[in-house]
Amino acid sequence: MRNPLMAAVFLAVSVRVGGAEEIVFNRDIRPLLSENCFHCHGPDSGTRKAGLRLDLEAEAHAGAIVAGDPARSELWIRITASDDDDLMPPPESGKALDPGERDLLRRWIESGAEYQSHWAFVTPERPAGPGGPEAIDHFVRRRLADEGLAPARPAGRRQLARRVSLDLNGLPPTPEEVEAFLADRSPQAYEKVVDRLLASPRFGEHMARHWLDAARYGDTHGLHLDNYREMWPYRDWVIRAFNRNMPYDVFLTEQLAGDLLEAPATDQLVATGFNRAHVTTNEGGSIKEEVFVRNVVDRVSTFGTVMLGLTTNCASCHDHKFDPVTQREFYQLFAYFNSLDGDAMDGNRKAHAPVVRVIDDEGKMRLAALRDELAAARRTLEETIAGYQYREPDDSTEAGNKADPARNEDDKHSKPAEYRSFRRWLADERGREKSKLPGPLRASIKKDPGALTGEETRALQRHYIVHVDLEAAERFRPLREAVSRSERELKKTENSFPTTLVWKELPKPRPAYVLERGQYDQRGEQVPRALPEFLPPMPDGAPNDRLGLARWLLMPVHPLTARVAVNRFWQQLFGVGLVKTAEDFGSQGEWPSHPQLLDWLAVEFRESGWDVKALLKTIVLSETYRQRSEGAPEQYRRDPENRLLARGPRFRLDAESLRDQALAVAGLLVEQTGGPPVKPPQPDGLWSAVGYSGSNTVRFKPDRGPGKVHRRSLYTFWKRTAPPPQMIDAPSRESCVVRRERTNTPLHALMFMNDPQYVEAARAFAERFLGAPDDGIPERLFLHALARPPGPDERGVLRESFRRHLAHYREHPEAARALVAIGDRPSDASDPERLAAWTMVASLMLNLDEFLTKN
Amino acid sequence: MDTVSRDCLTLQTRRHFFKRSGLGLGAAALATLLRRDGLAAGLAPPAFRSIAPRAKRAIYLFMSGAPSQHDLFDYKPAMRDWFDKELPDSIRMGQRLTTMTSGQKRFPIAPSKYAFEKVPNLAEGAWISELLPHTRKMAKDLCIIKSMHTEAINHDPAITYICTGNQLPGRPSLGAWLSYGLGSTNENLPAFVVLNATWSAKRDAQAIFNRLWGAGPLPSKHQGVLLRSTGDPVLFLNDPSGVDPATRRRMLDSLNTVNAGAYERFGDPEIQTRIAQYEMAFRMQSSVPELTDLGAEPASTFDLYGPDSKKPGTFAYCALLARRLAERGVRFTQIFHRGWDQHGDIARDLPLQCRDVDQASYALVQDLKQRGMLDDTLVIWGGEFGRTAYCQGKLTRDNYGRDHHPRCFTVWMAGGGVKPGIVYGDTDEFGYNITENPVHIHELNATVLQLLGLDHHRLSVKHQGLDVRLTGVEPVKPVEDLLA
Repeated sequence: MRNPLMAAVFLAVSVRVGGAEEIVFNRDIRPLLSENCFHCHGPDSGTRKAGLRLDLEAEAHAGAIVAGDPARSELWIRITASDDDDLMPPPESGKALDPGERDLLRRWIESGAEYQSHWAFVTPERPAGPGGPEAIDHFVRRRLADEGLAPARPAGRRQLARRVSLDLNGLPPTPEEVEAFLADRSPQAYEKVVDRLLASPRFGEHMARHWLDAARYGDTHGLHLDNYREMWPYRDWVIRAFNRNMPYDVFLTEQLAGDLLEAPATDQLVATGFNRAHVTTNEGGSIKEEVFVRNVVDRVSTFGTVMLGLTTNCASCHDHKFDPVTQREFYQLFAYFNSLDGDAMDGNRKAHAPVVRVIDDEGKMRLAALRDELAAARRTLEETIAGYQYREPDDSTEAGNKADPARNEDDKHSKPAEYRSFRRWLADERGREKSKLPGPLRASIKKDPGALTGEETRALQRHYIVHVDLEAAERFRPLREAVSRSERELKKTENSFPTTLVWKELPKPRPAYVLERGQYDQRGEQVPRALPEFLPPMPDGAPNDRLGLARWLLMPVHPLTARVAVNRFWQQLFGVGLVKTAEDFGSQGEWPSHPQLLDWLAVEFRESGWDVKALLKTIVLSETYRQRSEGAPEQYRRDPENRLLARGPRFRLDAESLRDQALAVAGLLVEQTGGPPVKPPQPDGLWSAVGYSGSNTVRFKPDRGPGKVHRRSLYTFWKRTAPPPQMIDAPSRESCVVRRERTNTPLHALMFMNDPQYVEAARAFAERFLGAPDDGIPERLFLHALARPPGPDERGVLRESFRRHLAHYREHPEAARALVAIGDRPSDASDPERLAAWTMVASLMLNLDEFLTKN
Repeated sequence: MDTVSRDCLTLQTRRHFFKRSGLGLGAAALATLLRRDGLAAGLAPPAFRSIAPRAKRAIYLFMSGAPSQHDLFDYKPAMRDWFDKELPDSIRMGQRLTTMTSGQKRFPIAPSKYAFEKVPNLAEGAWISELLPHTRKMAKDLCIIKSMHTEAINHDPAITYICTGNQLPGRPSLGAWLSYGLGSTNENLPAFVVLNATWSAKRDAQAIFNRLWGAGPLPSKHQGVLLRSTGDPVLFLNDPSGVDPATRRRMLDSLNTVNAGAYERFGDPEIQTRIAQYEMAFRMQSSVPELTDLGAEPASTFDLYGPDSKKPGTFAYCALLARRLAERGVRFTQIFHRGWDQHGDIARDLPLQCRDVDQASYALVQDLKQRGMLDDTLVIWGGEFGRTAYCQGKLTRDNYGRDHHPRCFTVWMAGGGVKPGIVYGDTDEFGYNITENPVHIHELNATVLQLLGLDHHRLSVKHQGLDVRLTGVEPVKPVEDLLA
């Protein structure tokens, strides 16, 4: 927390020093009022003190501010009071204004104490300036000029190739790709690289994993038993959507309301899993209504965070303290998300209804063929039956039947009696206490024989012939078996296709109520579906349901949707959003570092038809993105998070990219898109240490084989109560998170050095080059890992390092053999000692700061 | 592992490295290396540390599943006359029940089958059950709170609530707050360590969750580090087979050299921090095995903690490790002991559970006392809620089960500035409702923070528009009566 704080201070200071003498309410004043005053003098009527509101201009001016005259303004008097009893904010609140902040407020009052609407609630307009990538540079450079700074030089092609590849595909470039880029002297060389990356199936995977944090996707239910939840078709839907460059408006609409579209395709239903991905429970003892309310609140909060960039959940218990969302409005939004046609409790089942079964085209063909087969088998059976002439034996009571009456008792363990007579069987069957006949026959059999209709008699007789009669049934057996085989095969094949949780709306919506203090059993007034008043109204003609909600989000005047989206994409590339608080665009959120740039991007994105690939392309083609990231320590210290963008982005890669990159340079990565989650090895006992004994995810059994062990990390099975240990700094996926942090701890160092997956990657990385002479290997390691050759010093360090490791392993061959034996893929090195020495050097490469970092 | 030689390697090579690389350590890396008590020298303590600490560290013995206060601490002799009689409506007052028993036709009173004895403390004495003979011996050290209460009535929300201050996942845990608020005093060990103990009850044990020691929106370095009793004690701590400490050291030296070169090119202080973190990782490779090596403990230690303390993973073993962690300056150690969810068969399972923890809990408190550490080490013992006075399932004089009960339960604390030898709070004659001095779980947490010198109200972090704190939104206060 210390660093971000420092960054904020630096920024704030630089803003003021940087010449902007003019006070901007939204940038300078609102955050101060919000942080220090709104808790008691803001939108929440429940905690408002002295009837004073400072969030509304009219009320503030009527109450505590005399425009132009601080000395007569209660606000100024109270924030400068010497007596603790009068001082605002009250000392016991833990809040305090520093002298600089007080001075700002004084100058603001002096200059007339004007308010502005909160910037994020006003429709963005395209600011004047150039178009295309130059627009980005235009706004960034204006800010730099204000700060007296200049942009950095362009990054070299090698650095750029690695950066853009990691950013768009989450994987490093191959040396061949780098060489091709270097060799291409055309002006479009870089653009061609970008186009190639955007067209790669790896793009969708990389984009998806960011979205899956927001969608809180996991492979278990997340609460109590934390059993397996089959939901991965939704994950694959997200990957496909990005790969196909599904326009963002469609992307949102299908996830929010795919089920409400006209005749939705299976895919559009799969998308609605977004609203089902929250954690659920089936804990014995749970009160259904309480669980139900929690589920809905999660959906509303996630909708708020992901789509609106608003912390709506604050209003679930009381009016929002900082933003104008009232508690009533929260429950009006709640009313859009409360009518799922399904049980709130998950039943500990992987297919927590409503679900759809997802069958691909090939599967559909297979199923059709199986159904045909079954129909044919049934037809043959029926035809044979129809052609069979049953004749009742003359003496049906005795000679006709060998059955031992004692065995006719309703005893599961006795063999069925053997009959030669329909009448005899009928009589026996009628006498049984519990008939085991199929349902419709069971009713008939109880009737008096005389009362049976002809049809009933035929049905019974048919059953007798096919299943009971000693001679006839035997004759039909192969046909019968063919039918059941075929049935079994069909069922098995059907079940082999995954299901996934989807939304299905109740025919009649559930009523919604304001819940006092957010308590499920404290119902207040009933509320209709409606939108928060401070945002635009529903577009004309839109239905008042989730589909309408989607249309509303995507209407051109909506102030938030586009801004919130482009900010997340920006954050993905630059490490920090233009609004740092990607989850909160409200008054507690941060003022954007480049407001006009944010608006330009938002309008551009919307007007492009919500074209995600085009947006990313525009950003990565900008000179801002293409700056070199080398800087003086002073520069890093002044702006550690690079908010001013005076250099290229440089920050540690996310967990998934880290592991994927190691597998990729090692040549181990299996590039296969989609499918059920996989379980690469993890240390024993992580699941059982926490799991409920009866859970079906209490024991971890690692998968074997490269097809499962060396897949990209987004396919790793995500148990929410004990996420994979490699997923450092990743959210647990128990709730929606749109911003990851990046920490730097010794535990990470231990993992990169010692996790068998990383050790295996190091060994496999070394194995790729064993055919080369030792002197040539450092060069290859560098080209693969860092997309550049080593400098002379680095080459020297690697060679010397190898020499010393080799000397050690020559003396300890058993140690060498032990080291190279680690991993799923066997090693076939003829010289394990040499391989062990290079493995240690390769491991060094995988631990380099430059490798762990996008530079 | 050869600890001595590893330490030598650390010293030599660090000196060598910093000299050779000609690299002046930047301020950021220096701060990381030298940070003590969470603060680089020269910075004023943050506002949330304005309280004088009475404890420097804490050990939380968490009894997951909810121990039956009726059979351990909350003695209600009058209930014997009510055997199998209906719980009076005047007591239940329509309060909600879990759906495991809300469908029961009857709510018959199940008096405890266990004998209680009043043992002397520093006040009027404390009633403690025969199941806890060792705990009885230390009543003078204990501050027993019989009036704990919570709102959650099921395990997952309740344990998440008491451990993180919120029933929903995603908030920082108590230990994460302590790490964030107080920092570490030992740069070679994490500030917050979690131990998962084995348990003896036969029924399915309730799950626990990584979120119970998670950092929520705080930086993830504050999350609890699991110290495991099988495999690597800390994940990925041990070098792979075929890599000895000297080899690791050689690799690190080369790594540091190349990283130092990267710092010269990029100027990013994060690179210096990374170098420092790799060095700390190397030091942890000796400090952790030294910590978990019980070879130097005298026989008297094992006598004190009981024979289980030699078996890795048992509660007794974890309790002993907790003392060793405390000795090494670890801020917060939390032991999760599962298996306390006695919906039925109390007669079989509760004694087993008590045997797991009774002697070791006693031993830990005595051990700390002998070492002069009890004064500044806070020990907490308790679960997530209590259990019902009425029976769940079949009731006989000798066996019964109890459902979840949030309205009262018992927690004890010892040492660390807590008032010793008292029993605080009381419940009605059915052990159902609190009649005196209620202590909400938020108030318990506020008190714990206060004892460690943290202002629970100011200790907050901004997250999704809220000031997130351990003690929730509504104002609460530490319980002054519990402070020595």
